[in-house]
Amino acid sequence: MISSDHTMRMPALAIKRKQWEPYAFASPALFLIGLIIVFPLAYSFYLSLLNFDLAVGPDAEFIGLRNYTEALTRDQRFLESIWNTAAIIAPALVFELLLGLGIALLLNRVTHGRPIVTALIAVPAMVSPVMAAMAWRMMFGVKFGAINNLGRQLGIIDVYFDWFSTPWLAILAVVLVDIWHNTPFMMLVLLAGLQSIPQELYQAARVDGASAWQSFWSITLPLLKFTMAVGVMIRMIDLTKIFGLIFILTYGGPGGSTETLAFNTYLVGFKDFRMSYASALSYVIVFGVLILTLIFMRISRQREARAA
Amino acid sequence: MSTVATRAAPVTATRRLGRHRMMRLGGDALTYVGLAVALVFFLGPFFWILTTSLKGNEDFFAYPPVWIPSDPALTHYAALFTRSSGARYFTNSLVISSLSMFAALAVSLPTAYSIARWRFGGGFLSTLLLVLRMLPAIALIIPIYIMYKMMGLTNSYLGLVALYTVVYIPFAVWLLVGFLRDFPVEIEEAAMIDGCSRLKSLLRVVIPIIAPGLAVVALFAFIATWNEFLFAIVLTGIETKTMMVLVTSFTTGGTDQFYGEASASVVLGVLPAFAVAFFLQRYLVKGLALGGTKG
Repeated sequence: MISSDHTMRMPALAIKRKQWEPYAFASPALFLIGLIIVFPLAYSFYLSLLNFDLAVGPDAEFIGLRNYTEALTRDQRFLESIWNTAAIIAPALVFELLLGLGIALLLNRVTHGRPIVTALIAVPAMVSPVMAAMAWRMMFGVKFGAINNLGRQLGIIDVYFDWFSTPWLAILAVVLVDIWHNTPFMMLVLLAGLQSIPQELYQAARVDGASAWQSFWSITLPLLKFTMAVGVMIRMIDLTKIFGLIFILTYGGPGGSTETLAFNTYLVGFKDFRMSYASALSYVIVFGVLILTLIFMRISRQREARAA
Repeated sequence: MSTVATRAAPVTATRRLGRHRMMRLGGDALTYVGLAVALVFFLGPFFWILTTSLKGNEDFFAYPPVWIPSDPALTHYAALFTRSSGARYFTNSLVISSLSMFAALAVSLPTAYSIARWRFGGGFLSTLLLVLRMLPAIALIIPIYIMYKMMGLTNSYLGLVALYTVVYIPFAVWLLVGFLRDFPVEIEEAAMIDGCSRLKSLLRVVIPIIAPGLAVVALFAFIATWNEFLFAIVLTGIETKTMMVLVTSFTTGGTDQFYGEASASVVLGVLPAFAVAFFLQRYLVKGLALGGTKG
């Protein structure tokens, strides 16, 4: 039986022996990636070593790493944009994780209508950051926005409040919109994680007399640890690139207090046209994201090892 | 002694059961209340934007505020389509997203096949794809802008579509490899023993069977392009603007006079998101984790 099966499969194996086929199949995509991603990135790195400035003219000379030293030591605006980005990332991550976990736990308890409720809560995550920011910009509107209107109607506030009047308020507003926009993603990831935990563990714990709180603390959390780490890492990497939301909601204001890394780089490149310097700034971001990505890969490998 | 025990046991058991059921009911009630609050928070903005886009001007400015317009009208949509060239930009978004979607699929499928069947590239290729997915768009747009400027590709459909296609290759390949790995090799081998070439078996056997998977990838690629903003705002001009770029014109010069058209454009801009959220429920986690809808 085994030998006949073996001979049955031989012709197919013979057909597989065409050395060029894998390369032929993969080459169009690889060629395009080389042309439109790898080459431009290499060119951009070369550019970051020049002092090319479109506002001055097409001439440029080689200045080595001077753009990088300027960015990391003297450019107050860039250094502040690192701080601003961190000030948005930290609270956004904490709330997205906690809220996402909370909603995922609630959904996990529900037996009827879970798919439809999950899909409804997930909608914000599918929306463009630009559209999310525009909707909230109108809701934050001073005179006709939903928030001030609702607040006045319920008697919580009695003035037309400007939600972007101070730096801290503006950062809070950005964080709130990001929580609305991306908690659904965290919820979906954690819900998938929760559903992969075997129910037998909870039944065993109940037989042993464990309370709901105990089984959450010693079954759910430990088994969900890696899923949480993966979700948080993806969000952290995406938040370091936050751009569209800032562009629409605050345009970096007030007084540059919500100017993030990507937004600052955009202004340097496409408002001041300092192309070389913007390239250098973007490479600083790439370097940061690369470190986060390496951590992310380590975590997801650990998770796979745990699952296997 | 024994009678006491037998009498006492059921009583405590029912009492415990009663308490248990009470807690359960209370927990269920809290669960539904919590989910209701979550639904209001996550869907409320959509509801407000939709009603706002249907309000007449006097309803924007009314106090106490009008939450549901008494006589809804489509005037703002008409104004958006004519006065702000919304029709043009909506079509641009549709065309650019559809073209990029098809191109990304056409290029990614053979690559994914190569990885799934022959383990092409091994671990290196999957690492490369992950790094490309994490790559900040801002790092790419600076050199692309200069190159496109030199080649005259700014403000053109071709330039944008080419860029989107390539940017979504990593995502499409990643998802497609998953679908192809689930596809039984035996079916393909049978076709090839019957005389199909590798390409023919891919076109005639594999594609029809994994069509649902292809649709999933296509929809995610579509929405990612539809939602993309940074490339669009840098590379588009007056003729090639997308819906995302159109929205920026409502943020300058005070939003107040533009409430109607701005909200109408947001309603149109989020329509595909609703479609995808409902059709692709099962794949949302994968799609969102891998996809480049953020920026």
